[in-house]
Amino acid sequence: MGPEGSKPKTVICRCEDVTVEEIRKLIEKGYQTPDEIKRLSRCGMGQCQGRTCRNLVLQEIGAATGREGKDIPMSTFRPPTKPVKLGLYARARAEHEGGDDR
Amino acid sequence: MTMADVIVIGGGPAGLSAATTAAAHGARVILVDEQAIPGGQLSKQIHKFFGSREHLAGTRGFAIGRRLLEDALAAGVDVRLGRAAYAAYPGTGGEFEVAVYGGDAATGGSRAARLRGRRLIVATGASENPLAFPGWTLPGVMGAGAVQTLVNVHRVRPGRRALMVGSGNVGLIVTYQLLQAGVDVAALVEAMPRIGGYLVHAGKVRRAGVPILLGQTVLEASGDGRVERAVVARLDERGQAVLGSERSFDVDTICLAVGLSPWLELLLILGVRTAYIPALGGHVPLHDRDLQTSVPGLYVAGDVAGVEEASVALEEGRLAGMAAAESLGRGDRVALARAKLEVAARLDGLRGGPFGAARREAKARQVNELSGAPPLSPAAAAGPESVPASRADGRAGIPGRPRPVAVIECYQQIPCNPCETACPRGAITIGSPITNLPKLDVDACTGCGLCLTACPGQAIFLVDRSGETATVTFPYEYLPAPEVGRRVTAVDAEGRPVGEAAVTSARMTRKTNRTWAVTVTVPHAYAGVVRGMLRPRR
Ligand SMILES: Cc1cc2nc3c(=O)[nH]c(=O)nc-3n(C[C@H](O)[C@H](O)[C@H](O)COP(=O)(O)OP(=O)(O)OC[C@H]3O[C@@H](n4cnc5c(N)ncnc54)[C@H](O)[C@@H]3O)c2cc1C
Ligand code: SF4
Ligand code: SF4
Repeated sequence: MGPEGSKPKTVICRCEDVTVEEIRKLIEKGYQTPDEIKRLSRCGMGQCQGRTCRNLVLQEIGAATGREGKDIPMSTFRPPTKPVKLGLYARARAEHEGGDDR
Repeated sequence: MTMADVIVIGGGPAGLSAATTAAAHGARVILVDEQAIPGGQLSKQIHKFFGSREHLAGTRGFAIGRRLLEDALAAGVDVRLGRAAYAAYPGTGGEFEVAVYGGDAATGGSRAARLRGRRLIVATGASENPLAFPGWTLPGVMGAGAVQTLVNVHRVRPGRRALMVGSGNVGLIVTYQLLQAGVDVAALVEAMPRIGGYLVHAGKVRRAGVPILLGQTVLEASGDGRVERAVVARLDERGQAVLGSERSFDVDTICLAVGLSPWLELLLILGVRTAYIPALGGHVPLHDRDLQTSVPGLYVAGDVAGVEEASVALEEGRLAGMAAAESLGRGDRVALARAKLEVAARLDGLRGGPFGAARREAKARQVNELSGAPPLSPAAAAGPESVPASRADGRAGIPGRPRPVAVIECYQQIPCNPCETACPRGAITIGSPITNLPKLDVDACTGCGLCLTACPGQAIFLVDRSGETATVTFPYEYLPAPEVGRRVTAVDAEGRPVGEAAVTSARMTRKTNRTWAVTVTVPHAYAGVVRGMLRPRR
C-alpha cells in the first residue's frame, strides 16, 4: 500500500523523531529530493543512517508529486555505513597502520 | 595492511560461494561478515529450502549456511566473522580499501582494520522494507527478520497472537514458523488482490486455518505502551482504505513482511551506476554478464544485485568468484569460460516460469543498460505476477489399487525439484527447466512416501484406497509430537475441520529430517479432502 493510508502523527524516522506530517510539509514547500529533506529535517541522519526511513521518504515524494521511483534521485551516502565509535576515527591512523586484526 | 586478491563483503550464500569459487581458482580471498553466524539469511531459516538438489534444496536453511562455511574454509578462504565493513574506498592503484570494525569478545573492546584487495565482491544482501502507519513504532510491531531472529535463533516467542502483513514467501514462511513456535496467527493480510508467494507455502498456513485476507492492509496499531490491537481494512482499486470496512484484531504482535530492498550503501559510496527496477526490489546496481558493476574490479552477487532467492545467490556468487579470479589471470581460461556458461544456463532455469519471467527480463535489462543497449520491454518493470490457483481439489487417489499412491498438489511453475530426486522409483519427473510441474507416473509409484517428506512445499500426500476405509498420509512439523492411536480433527487444504480421524501411523526418521509422515484413516469419500490435522492442544 502507498503512504496514503498512514495518517499524520506517524513517525517516519525513529532515530531523529521525524513525523510524516513534517515530511509532507517540506514536500509541499518544494523540497522534493531525499537529500533536501534529509538536510532540513535530519530524517535519515541518525543511528541507522536512513535504513528504515529511506524508502518511506521516497514513497512520500512519489505520492505527493506523482513521480515514479526511477525518477526520484537517491540521497548521497557517505561512510560510515554502520554506527561506529567516534574513538575509531580519532585513533584511525594508529589503528589502521598496525591494525590488521583477526 | 592486508592485501588480498579478492575481498568479499557478506557471508550469505552469495558471498560464501563467491569466496569459495575465487579461492578454488587460486585467488587469495578474505571474507568479512558482520554477523557471528555464517550464512546470512540462511542462518535464520529452519524450513526446508525449495530449489534443486544442486542448491542443497530440501535441506534446512541454517544447515546450508554451515555447509557453505565449511566449503569456504576448506578452499582456504580467510573468513572473518563478526566484522562489519563500514566504509569502502577506491585505492590509488585500482585496488579497493575496505574499513572493517567489530566487537572483540576476548577483550570486550572493539577492533578495526583496513583491508586492501585487488578485486571487491559486495554480497551484502537486502534489507527489509518498512511500512508506516499510526502506532507502527509501538513495541510489538516488528519485521519478519526480527521475528525470525527471536524465534529461530534465540527461541523466544515474540508474543501470543500475531497479525502478519504481507503474503510473499517471507510472510508465508514466517507465519508457518510462528505457528510452529506456538504463536496464534489471527490473520495474514495482503494489500494486493492475490497471494504474492508460492501456493505451496500458502497451503501450509491455510491448512493450519490461518485466514489470508487479500486486498486488505493494516491501518493502525494501538495499545497502552505496546501493541494490543490492530485495525485492518479493505482497500479499493486505488489502494485507499474503504470506509466502514475496518475490523479490529486483538493481537500483541504485528509482523511486517512487505518486501526487501538491496543493501546498496557501500556500492553507492564507491559510485556504481544504478537503475530502478521494481521486479528486483527497487534500486539495483547495474552489472555486466560477469556481475561486474560500472566500477571496474567491483562485483556484486546475490540479493544486493536484485532480490531473488538463495539458489540464485549461490549461482551468482560462483559467477562473480570465477570472473574475479579470471580477471586476475587465475584459473584455466577455457574451463572458466565453460563453467561460466553453465552457471548462466542454470540461472536461466531458475528464472523460468511465471514467477521468474519478470526477473529474467529485469536481469537482462540490468545488464543491457550498462552496456548501453536499449532497455527491454516495460513488462520487466512490473513486479512478479502470481498465477491464480488452479487447484484440482478433491483428487482422490485410485480406488481399488492395492497400495497407497502419491498425490501431488503442486500447481505452480516454481524452481523446485526435491520430489523428483527423492523418488527411488523415478516415478516423478520434472526435468528441465526446473520450473516444470512435477508429473507422476502412477504405475511406477510404490507409495513409499519418500517424496512426501522431501517436498519443502509440503504439497505431496499419500492416499491409500485399497482397504475398507481409506488412509491419507500428510507431512507434519508441529509439536506436540503426533501419537499413534490418538483421535484428531482432520482438516482440509484450507484448514477447515472435516471431522474426527484416528492416527494409525506417525513416522519420523533421520532421513525425513524432523518432518513426520502422519497417517489417518478416513472414509473413502474424504480421501481427496483430508490434507492435515488440527494441532492438539498441549
Ligand atoms: C523468510 C525467508 C525465507 C526464505 N526461503 C528461501 C527458500 O526456501 N529458498 C530460497 O532459495 N531462498 C529463500 N529465501 C531467500 C534467501 O534467503 C536469500 O535470497 C539469500 O539469502 C540471499 O543471499 P545473499 O548472500 O545475497 O544475502 P544474505 O543471505 O542476506 O547475506 C548477506 C550477508 O551480508 C552481511 N553484511 C551486510 N552488510 C555488511 C557489511 N557492511 N559488513 C559485513 N557484512 C555485511 C550480512 O550480515 C549477511 O550475513 C528466503 C528468505 C527469507 C527472508
Ligand atoms: S511415494 Fe515413493 S514411489 Fe511414489 S512417487 Fe513418492 S517417492 Fe516415488
Ligand atoms: S511437489 Fe516437487 S516441485 Fe512441488 S513443491 Fe514439492 S518438491 Fe517442489
